[in-house]
Amino acid sequence: MNIPRSPALLALAALAATPALSNMLVPPGPRTGIANSRLSATPASEWNRLSHTDGKFTEVWTIDGDQLDKVTFFGGVARGKALLREVDRKHHPLPTVKASMLITDIPVLLETTYRIRGARQMTIDTQEPAMLGGHKAIRFTYHFTLDDEVRRKGEGLGALVDGKLYLVTYEAPALHFFDKDVARYRALAASITL
Amino acid sequence: MRRLFPIVMTALTMAVTMAGPTIAADPTLSLPTYTPAYEPRTVDERGLWMEADEEERLLRDSPLRIREGKLEQYVRDVLCREVGAERCQSVRVYVMEVPEFNASMLPNGCMRVLTGLLLRARSEAELASVLGHEFGHFELRHGLTGFKAERRTKDRTAWLAILGAMSRTDITDTRISLLASFYRFTRDQEAAADQMGLRYMATSGYPARTAAEVWRQAMAEQDASEIGHGRTPRHSYVSGYFDTHPTNLNRAMALEAAAARMPGGGEARADEYRAAIAPYLPRLLAAQIKTYDVGATDFILASLAAQSGWTGELLFARAELYRARGNPRDLQMASIWFRDARAAGYAAPELDRDLGLTLLRNGQADEARKALNAYLAARPDASDATMIQTLVATEQ
Repeated sequence: MNIPRSPALLALAALAATPALSNMLVPPGPRTGIANSRLSATPASEWNRLSHTDGKFTEVWTIDGDQLDKVTFFGGVARGKALLREVDRKHHPLPTVKASMLITDIPVLLETTYRIRGARQMTIDTQEPAMLGGHKAIRFTYHFTLDDEVRRKGEGLGALVDGKLYLVTYEAPALHFFDKDVARYRALAASITL
Repeated sequence: MRRLFPIVMTALTMAVTMAGPTIAADPTLSLPTYTPAYEPRTVDERGLWMEADEEERLLRDSPLRIREGKLEQYVRDVLCREVGAERCQSVRVYVMEVPEFNASMLPNGCMRVLTGLLLRARSEAELASVLGHEFGHFELRHGLTGFKAERRTKDRTAWLAILGAMSRTDITDTRISLLASFYRFTRDQEAAADQMGLRYMATSGYPARTAAEVWRQAMAEQDASEIGHGRTPRHSYVSGYFDTHPTNLNRAMALEAAAARMPGGGEARADEYRAAIAPYLPRLLAAQIKTYDVGATDFILASLAAQSGWTGELLFARAELYRARGNPRDLQMASIWFRDARAAGYAAPELDRDLGLTLLRNGQADEARKALNAYLAARPDASDATMIQTLVATEQ
């Protein structure tokens, strides 16, 4: 095999091996326009922003890969829109954000959405009042299982601001991984401004 | 008494000899030869069983499995009643919490039953008709013959591609015909398993006509789901080119025709079934509601209510279903059904919470606060109590 030796050729080879949209390092420090919305945060440590998303209102961050730890920002999901991309709108439409929603309906919306997308035995465990970027919010915990049957735990912080839903969730396998990075997620969620 | 004994014995012997040959001579009721503790015999079959054993280990340890109570034992009892204690010895049943209407069986005797089937079945006979169908696949060794047919089709397609390339001939049509014949084969297997399931039912005493009713019911639910999604329901008699199963309509008609030639059967055991499922019903209903299929779920609830009447439990489930969709008209109806459920004896304090949240969304703040306070009084330590307190204090 011939290995290109010139730096230009090496750079070209690296580019060719990289997908068109790549994952991106998120350095510590302020970051605005998360999930193409008014969500801003100031991570205290490094994260990776994944190039793939679960829909046009979402942005996914991770430390070790989204199967092991996954932070999803839902930025300003408008009335009539679903949280995630609809895979089978004809047969399995996803629930949408409603004008009359209360903040207690946010966990229900997430649970129904996940169940339709294949989560099993999803349960909301706790719910408590909180603040998200200075707005009244709900902090909730949950657990669920996907097709791989790994037990996952999750934590979410959501608010309804000007009729739009803002939510940040953290999900990781219950065994070891959830506890490993939950403090980093909480610090990140606490830094969110709207 | 001594004189009576020989007469009774003679009458009994006559009854048995008269009943026996009728069933034995009826070719529509003949069952495959049963081999106790069957072991796989060929390389292919041993390979399939090895895979099935591995899959069964995963099922056994799955977090989705319902281990509580004796639900799996009950489902197995229904199967044993249907196929006989001897045949049943080779089967293990695993009930998985998945709100879909399905069951399946692996070649090694591992049966997987989804809770969606248990919610929809209205009697032991309906459950047995699906279990018998799966057992038919198992006893007819469909796993093995299906695997061989698939491999044969792939081999022929590969050879065809080589020969076609060598002779520069377009093989597209032949390849499609080969594939179509494979799918035809799987549909024939399904039809054979349907007929075998019917024989188990007829010989066990469950009414054989129930099998067709299951498919009629499935079609009606499908209609309700389509209408709920704003579409026009359709059913076709003929399967598509690449369908693995015959259409529901086709199956219902074939089963009806075959059942008409069989003995009428005895009890469907609907009461016994309801009693056995009752402890699990709230869990099954909650999972179904979260499928967000309002049309199908409302149909299932109405079908359960047709048997037991609108109990508090069913009314609560219906209210939750409409509350989840959350259109203004849904919220209106949900609050009425929550109150009806309370009047019908549904006592859980969560009803007050969900009624309160519904009223709050519907702009009836005063009534909502009353209901939410009732919930907080009954469940001061609930995991969502502080959240509800905040809502009561802040929502106008």
